[in-house]
Amino acid sequence: MNVLRRPAGLSKFRFYSTQTTRPFVPPASLNHFDFRQRQREKPRPTSPAFYTARPEFYDQLSSLESALQHAKTALTSCHLLPLPQFAREALPPRVNAWVDKRELGLKLRSTLTTSRYRRVVLVLNELETYRAIAEKAGIAELQEGIRGITELFERADAATMLARGKAKPVKFDEYGRSYTLGKRKTSSARVWIVPVQQPPADKSTASQSIPAATETDTALTALLDPISSSKSNEPVSVSQILVNNTPLSAYFPIPADRARVIHPIKLAGLLGAYNIFAIVRGGGTSGQSGAVAHGIAKGLAAHEPAVATILRKAKLLRRDPRMVERKKPGLAKARKRYAWVKR
Amino acid sequence: MLTLSVRCQRVSCQLFASSSTTPLAQTRSYATQPKKGQIVKQASQGFKGKKNTPSGQMEHGKKDKKMMAFQPLPVSQLPHPLFESDRPDTLALQSFHPEMLTRVVESQALKFPHNESDPFRIFGLPRNILVEFRLLSKPCSVIRSVTIDAINKLDAASDKNSKESRVVLTGPQGCGKSYLLLQALQYCNARDWLVLYIPRATNLVNSTTAYTYDMRTRTYSQPIFAYQTLQRFLKVNALRLEQLRTQTEIEIERRPPVPPGTPLVELINIGLKDQGHAPTVLGAVLEEIGKQTIFPVLLAVDDFQALYCKSHYRDQHFSAIKSYHLSMPRLLLEYASGQKSFARGAVFGAISMGNTTFPLPLELREALSLEHDRPYGPYVKRQPELVEYARGLERLAVPGSLSVPEAASVFEVWMKDRAVPSKPNDELFLTKYSEASGNARAFVWKGLLSSMSA
Repeated sequence: MNVLRRPAGLSKFRFYSTQTTRPFVPPASLNHFDFRQRQREKPRPTSPAFYTARPEFYDQLSSLESALQHAKTALTSCHLLPLPQFAREALPPRVNAWVDKRELGLKLRSTLTTSRYRRVVLVLNELETYRAIAEKAGIAELQEGIRGITELFERADAATMLARGKAKPVKFDEYGRSYTLGKRKTSSARVWIVPVQQPPADKSTASQSIPAATETDTALTALLDPISSSKSNEPVSVSQILVNNTPLSAYFPIPADRARVIHPIKLAGLLGAYNIFAIVRGGGTSGQSGAVAHGIAKGLAAHEPAVATILRKAKLLRRDPRMVERKKPGLAKARKRYAWVKR
Repeated sequence: MLTLSVRCQRVSCQLFASSSTTPLAQTRSYATQPKKGQIVKQASQGFKGKKNTPSGQMEHGKKDKKMMAFQPLPVSQLPHPLFESDRPDTLALQSFHPEMLTRVVESQALKFPHNESDPFRIFGLPRNILVEFRLLSKPCSVIRSVTIDAINKLDAASDKNSKESRVVLTGPQGCGKSYLLLQALQYCNARDWLVLYIPRATNLVNSTTAYTYDMRTRTYSQPIFAYQTLQRFLKVNALRLEQLRTQTEIEIERRPPVPPGTPLVELINIGLKDQGHAPTVLGAVLEEIGKQTIFPVLLAVDDFQALYCKSHYRDQHFSAIKSYHLSMPRLLLEYASGQKSFARGAVFGAISMGNTTFPLPLELREALSLEHDRPYGPYVKRQPELVEYARGLERLAVPGSLSVPEAASVFEVWMKDRAVPSKPNDELFLTKYSEASGNARAFVWKGLLSSMSA
């Protein structure tokens, strides 16, 4: 019976082996030991990283790396890895926004040093690359699986961080109005642009069938005398521009300011197409007119993207960076020097 | 002080009983217009000033140049081919004829008739319109929807007392009030009305001519203005006035009374012979034409708000003389308020919003129910006389912006007259129209004529 109670490892013990390092213990003398108790006293470590300095961290890291390995095998089986150079270049360049060191430490339940953080981020970047490849290839399952892992480690405001430096797309409200801001010197303008509502087409004229003879007649008269025959009854739509709730001509008496405001609309060829309402504050007349023009240009670029290139070439979409230069000591004004005296 | 001056006047009258000169008028040297060729001597400035300075002569030359501003050269003096004087006139406009003024003709440009007794030539024009007519090849205007409204009002007024048709044209600066008044004037002249037009009522109150204190009416009479008005009135309405005669006896100072049945032309000539009688004669003439019912009468006044402002005249105490104490503004105010009236006719006035020396007063603003831009509460003083003079005035609002067809006609007129420096295409039209927000003066002067674009 005592024989049965021998520990399992010892059953394979070969007494006659010459490579043993342990001293010889006859099996009979081990009978009175209860090895089961000993097993109970010291349980087996749950994870292989138990004896490392940061077991939780290494557990998480190993799970991430195993996920990466699975993804890699999956892609390799689909013949997507290794990816040729041209295919890698075709992938969109990814800028990742992972959580910062402190946040990641909270997630992994252990404080991180920079090198450990970098190690995790490396794995995450690789995962993200594989996700991009899967997305491009159209393997939705794999892509979603990887996404499930990577989104745990993404910043909450990842979208805004990635959109930093890029122009925000202009939103339209339920009436089709765009809302843009324009600035010049110390003035700022808020501009709302809405398309001019064309009056409903006259049904009576549309229903009249024009006989062929009069068509040629009108065409002939139009050729011979274009000015007098061009007086058609079509209403001409006109842009109404209100600045601080006053008409443009009343708010800006100087023709140059008015022309500055109209310039973007004129260049875009959209005179009569849009109505504009602007609220402008700060600065003087030319600053305010420049701010309104800037806002109008941005709004028109939002309404008609084709027009954006023209306005950009004309530098109307650019916020004019020129500001009033400061006065310097030793000078009367920003650049003006005091009168030079010989003695 | 007042009685002393009056006594002096009486004495002077007794001494020069038979003379036809005016009584002692309080003349000021700056107010008299120098005759052509006369050298204006500069006053000597102590021991530093020199007599007969060349600057004195230059001053006269400058003044001459100022009066002759914007006078285009005649075609005969432009022989160079660059001026294209022989090019045919492309501005073919129909003539302003009262019969054709219907809604059909709306937003069409019509040229004003040009004849010997043309009211524009005789009465004069407001300054900016005068300049425009000098620039254009021929005086013309665009018929707007508000023109037809005004003409309908005149047609309705031709049978009614002028008390019921006292209209004031209102609207923002540069919207076309003076032009509308001109169109009304031309219409009435063509329809055989008796017309009296005061193009610049500011001249009546800005102390440009002498005044005399009249003991009988206890007002300050303006004989020069009255004389000028009579002269012009006679010239424009000569044919019509020949048919009219006085109905009552008219008393004129220092002269036997004028019996009833005298032709009105003779009455006017009495005023033209002696400038001192002119204010009385003018009042009498207007009264007589107010009684007759053969011809309706139009009294048109531009810068109408100046009649309700304090004048620039000063009395001997150096206090400003009120406008209703001056004979000419008082006469116009009486007809405008309905205290005096024409049996048939109307009184039309056009206010000027851009005049800062004679701004629109509070009493007139309230009477016409216009927007206020200054404090107007119950603690702001209103002159009861002016409130009385402004009672019952009707407002005809001229729209602040031209409609697109009207603006197109205006554009065509200037384009065909080759006055637009830029390339005249529809882009220019829409650009300038949008910049001006439809305002007529801004569209023409600051838009079309002031800018150059490729």
